[in-house]
Amino acid sequence: MDQNMIIVSSITMAMKGRDILFNQGIRAYVERTPQRYNGGRGCSYSIYVPSRSDEAAMVINDNGIKILGRYEKENAL
Amino acid sequence: MIYLDNAATTYPKPLEVMNAVQIAVRKYGANPGRSGHRMSMDSAMEIYDCRKRAARFFNASGPENVVFTLNCTHALNIVLKGLLKPGDHVVTSCLEHNAVMRPLQNLSDKGISYTCAKVFPGDHTATVNAFRDALRENTKLIVCTVASNVWGIRLPVERIAALGTEYGIPMLVDAAQGAGVVPIDVQDSGIAYLCVAGHKGLYGPMGTGMLITEKGEQLDTIVEGGTGTDSIRLTQPDTLPERFESGTPNMPGIAGLNAGLSFVEHKGVTTIFRHEMELMQKLYDKLSQMDTIELYTQRPDECYYVPLVSFNVQGKDSETVAAYLNQNEIAVRPGLHCAPAAHQFLGTLERGAVRVCPSAFTNSNDIGALLAVLLKIIVK
Repeated sequence: MDQNMIIVSSITMAMKGRDILFNQGIRAYVERTPQRYNGGRGCSYSIYVPSRSDEAAMVINDNGIKILGRYEKENAL
Repeated sequence: MIYLDNAATTYPKPLEVMNAVQIAVRKYGANPGRSGHRMSMDSAMEIYDCRKRAARFFNASGPENVVFTLNCTHALNIVLKGLLKPGDHVVTSCLEHNAVMRPLQNLSDKGISYTCAKVFPGDHTATVNAFRDALRENTKLIVCTVASNVWGIRLPVERIAALGTEYGIPMLVDAAQGAGVVPIDVQDSGIAYLCVAGHKGLYGPMGTGMLITEKGEQLDTIVEGGTGTDSIRLTQPDTLPERFESGTPNMPGIAGLNAGLSFVEHKGVTTIFRHEMELMQKLYDKLSQMDTIELYTQRPDECYYVPLVSFNVQGKDSETVAAYLNQNEIAVRPGLHCAPAAHQFLGTLERGAVRVCPSAFTNSNDIGALLAVLLKIIVK
């Protein structure tokens, strides 16, 4: 299972994480976190990394962005 | 109209600022950071872009350290009221705007004391020593302006921040008159809290300001509410910038501020400063040749002043002079400029003064026109 969705604390940190990943050559996108994955936090944003997600998580973590969770992206409906 | 009231807010705004605001209203109509649909994400992206640009402009360590506020006063209140506790002491300067003095006065009712250190125009070392002498065991904050909004007198904020670092006291800087006019590097200078007006030297729309800090998590909040994150909790998030950005942001204003920052970046802070300073030196030189003009400071120079000149006409109060200039299509600001402390310092608390402040768009013809009308006032 590829946990290609990385939950972070805010849309600002999601956009920052996406920028950092792009600079490292890793494609990434900012998306809303589905309610069932957000750990009961309510509104939340994630970084979607289609490939190299483990490496992406390490890069994000190394750049001081706290990862609140990971899950596999589901197809819409 | 010849607009020389740029210390209050810059006018005109650059064309790209006007366009950015219009585009934001037309294209980015959704609430940023609240939803996941395309328009909301585009709107959030525009705001994030401004955060990135502001972080780069002031050398903050990351875009998350840029908090958008209503104005510089709002940002100052966030820090002063979020940090200080009963029993704490604050050192400030004798030239502060009411944006600093009124919150401090309010806090003094809650057991927080303050001392105003004397500023020595033209002698940064003496000013730093005055700040050092004002420190106490319980001093928890140093707060001062980059430059007086009345006299243009610069304070050595980097040296005062270094003094704070030496004693373990954080430094709060009111950069209402400095941002976009003089270079400010928060990481290099060790400024803990930088408060900025977006609508002055950064050429953004009114209703924009910023607090730039890495230490926001140490501050209590003065406003709580929805942030679009962690909604299940009834407590305010700890993380920046959301901790201090409750409620829907001024998205069109921030888009305009982004364009204003870009304008200043492209022109260059130093280029704008030199242009404005040349104009103010020319004005000062001419005014100093007029017998009935009262000047209160030395000739402005790059080391000790920002580009701004205040004066009075002998025998006339500042409001009368400004009203006459207004009749002649010249906009300046008379009175106390919301800074009675600065007027007290140079003895103009009773009369106020006429303040002239240029922008990147001011030219020597504008200054010439001002001088021509002043000559008419003098012979009246």
